[in-house]
Amino acid sequence: MSENKRKKAVPFLLLAAILLFCIGGFWQIRLLLGKENEQSENGKHQVALITKSTLSAFWQSVFAGARAAGTEYNLTVKIEGPENEEDYKTQNEMIKKAVEGGAEVLVFSAVDFQENAEMIDWASSKGVKTIVIDSDVNSDEVVCRIGTDNYAAGKMAAKAVLESDLAEKKVGIVNYDKNSANGQQREAGFREAVKDDAQTGIVDVINVISTTEDAKEGTKDMLARHPDINVIVTFNEWTSLGVGYAVQEEHLADETMVVAFDSNVVSVGMLESGEVDALIVQNPYAMGYLGVEKALNVIQDRGTLPAQIDTETTLITRENMFDPQCQRMLFAFENG
Amino acid sequence: MRKIKEWLGHRTIAGLITGAVLMLVMAVLLSALLVFLSLYRNSMTENAVTAGDQAVVQVVNTVTNYTEEIEELMACVRTYVASDNRSQFAFFDNLMRTRTDVVAVITYDKNGNMEKCWAGEEQVKSKWLKNLSRPEADTGKGLRLSAPHVESLFQNSYPWVVSISDEGEDAQGNPVQIVMDIRFSSIMNYVDTVGIGQHGYCFLMNKEGTIIYHPQQRLIYSNLKEEQTDWLKEQADGITMDNGVIYTIQTLETCNWRVIGVCYADEMVGAKVETMLKVSVILMAMFFLVTFAVGWLISRLISRPSRELARAMGAFEEDAKAFRFVSVGGTAEISRLSDSFGHMVVRIQQLMEQVRQEEITLRKTELNALQTQINPHFLYNTLSSIAWMCEEERSAEAVEMVNALGQLFRISISKGHELIPIGQELQHAKSYLQIQNFRYKNQFTYEFEVDEDCLGYYCNKITLQPIIENAIYHGLDRMVDEGRIVIRVYQKDNDIFMEVEDNGVGMTQEQCHEILERDPKRKTGIGIKNVNDRVRIYFGSEYGMTITSELDEGTCVKIRMPKVTQEQEFSSADDYMRRQADDYGKDLIGGKERENVGK
Repeated sequence: MSENKRKKAVPFLLLAAILLFCIGGFWQIRLLLGKENEQSENGKHQVALITKSTLSAFWQSVFAGARAAGTEYNLTVKIEGPENEEDYKTQNEMIKKAVEGGAEVLVFSAVDFQENAEMIDWASSKGVKTIVIDSDVNSDEVVCRIGTDNYAAGKMAAKAVLESDLAEKKVGIVNYDKNSANGQQREAGFREAVKDDAQTGIVDVINVISTTEDAKEGTKDMLARHPDINVIVTFNEWTSLGVGYAVQEEHLADETMVVAFDSNVVSVGMLESGEVDALIVQNPYAMGYLGVEKALNVIQDRGTLPAQIDTETTLITRENMFDPQCQRMLFAFENG
Repeated sequence: MRKIKEWLGHRTIAGLITGAVLMLVMAVLLSALLVFLSLYRNSMTENAVTAGDQAVVQVVNTVTNYTEEIEELMACVRTYVASDNRSQFAFFDNLMRTRTDVVAVITYDKNGNMEKCWAGEEQVKSKWLKNLSRPEADTGKGLRLSAPHVESLFQNSYPWVVSISDEGEDAQGNPVQIVMDIRFSSIMNYVDTVGIGQHGYCFLMNKEGTIIYHPQQRLIYSNLKEEQTDWLKEQADGITMDNGVIYTIQTLETCNWRVIGVCYADEMVGAKVETMLKVSVILMAMFFLVTFAVGWLISRLISRPSRELARAMGAFEEDAKAFRFVSVGGTAEISRLSDSFGHMVVRIQQLMEQVRQEEITLRKTELNALQTQINPHFLYNTLSSIAWMCEEERSAEAVEMVNALGQLFRISISKGHELIPIGQELQHAKSYLQIQNFRYKNQFTYEFEVDEDCLGYYCNKITLQPIIENAIYHGLDRMVDEGRIVIRVYQKDNDIFMEVEDNGVGMTQEQCHEILERDPKRKTGIGIKNVNDRVRIYFGSEYGMTITSELDEGTCVKIRMPKVTQEQEFSSADDYMRRQADDYGKDLIGGKERENVGK
């Protein structure tokens, strides 16, 4: 009797199973057809870009690149950075807020090689990986480092100095915060490249706060202490402007060779008018773009990233600054 | 062919129908899917191409409109360059304020020196490194568009511009070259907004393969992205496909710029086709399952009744008489089949009853024939024996003999009742033996070993007499020694056994067989077979006669029958007899009519 009952139940069970499958199928189809819309509405991943500064043309260009990648890959990119380039505390706060705010990956440029490390380790413990752009941090939790090969960029600056037709090169270095990794690497690269050259000697090194004003005053001081300095090398956008202004105010444009870093309209103007003689131009747009692009790789867990991605640098002098290639490196478009 | 038939023999209708329908549906679905997907892919590709084409046409129209507008503006500028200073100033002041896209208007004399420069609020440097706006010295007549470049004349401002140059005359009538720098971004804002699909876009390139404007030009300038400009500049206007990318190329009429629409076919077509493929596969699986369910249900409607019918037929075959047919539902064909089977069952049962009745009648007739056949001789012999006894004045023996004869005939003529009490049957046998013993002059002795309890039960009449007759005529007659016949009646479980054993010449196994299988048309020796047949008709094939015999040792004939009481005989005789006859009839149907007889 019970077996008979069970036999009779079989078709109903089968029908029920088929019905269930059909419902499941329709649901799946609905999902498939609605996928594109849904992806754009709900499935947006969040990436936090925390930089050490926000105002310079360099960082504006980084942001432009990051936004372009965000648009292309359909990501929410939250951009933040302290006003002051020495303010690692605020930056740590920002990391904390970003992690708590649901960022899945940090794209990070460290103010301080040491002081930011702990926070990056903490973020990693919360499952938020970090991609470093431009300026490194002393943490093993960093997935990928994207930026200028600072050591090579330092050497490039040295090359510009060595190729100049000055007989004797007395070099003054205007560097910024000693705790900032990239500045130190650029200086190291420069030192390495010039150490064997008999005509070149490093007369003085100063470390200034990374503002135009402080750099200008520091440079003036240095020039006053060492009037024999005929080459000044400096390693970021703000110190470049400071050095440029100092040379301008001291009317040493023709006597002094200045090798500076990064570009904005003012430093390009100085290059054109002679206060600055060479610019090492990085590719901040690429840093921002690649940083966000690789962040997506991390989110989607698509293979391991290379530990280091170098973005290119270009040496621009007065002679080549209006070449089509260099125009594109130097001058930002208003859009795009 | 044979193999196919064999294979078919093992398949149920349900399975066949479901399988066939499933295969058919599968084939139809698959081919429909393929056709649909290829059509879909084609139409999607066409859509992608159309979208690219439309986008490019829009860009071309916009850029053409813009250049035409600039051309008109240039005509105006030309007029005012030739006019007096006052109106010139008013015009350019107005122009610079109203047209934000015009960065500067500059005139050069025939030696290429700058004559005048209107730049609105921008401050022109006193000394510049390089003037990127100045046209080449040997440029021909007419309107010309330069490649985009940075405006290098201003203090701390480097907007990207396109220089448009034209010939003109100044107020003094000297030939001058007029250059108008147009803010590059204003032309290109439109290009940025054009999208083809999700990631498709348009870009501008000149005939030499230099990118003039690209929505992602910073990516390109940062070497993060590449366009195949070298390959593209070789392509004619129209639609070209390469590596899953659809390029739509059109050259502007007003200048040597080309608009190139880039559309990722994989993204627009591939992804959608993939989605459609997934959807179709799911749909197909669903159709498949539903078809399976429907096919299965339909085939069940057909096959279940037919299986039930088959089961009913099996049951009928097992037990034909007791079978009660319940009609099977289902489709029209099946219920018609079922009704026919029902009619057939009834008909067969009627026929079986008929056969049984005929069989009973036949045996009765046979018995009668047997009696009429033996009686005259037997009567004659017996009477002459009696006569002889009377002559010898052995009157007591003669009386005994006459009594025995009377007894014998009393039972023989008790017509109407086939079953009589065993006691009566024994009396009959005894009378017969008495008579024969006289006749054979005590050549044999006989003995009864009877279980008294059995006497009340009933048995077929005239069962023992033919066997005894057979034993005397064929077993003892030719014997030299004294013959001996033992008649036993005993019970075992629910059965009664009657045995007739002699110590005569015996028979071979073949002869034993022959006796029971004898053709009823033969006159002689059908008595034993008749007994056996009657017992089996009345009580069933498991009852009846067994003969064991050995040559020169003797023969033992054993009859097995159930315990039948009077009530059964009279009150439920009809049912009882019918049941027994059914067994017999079943044997007929089953073709094992004589199977048990020889045992």
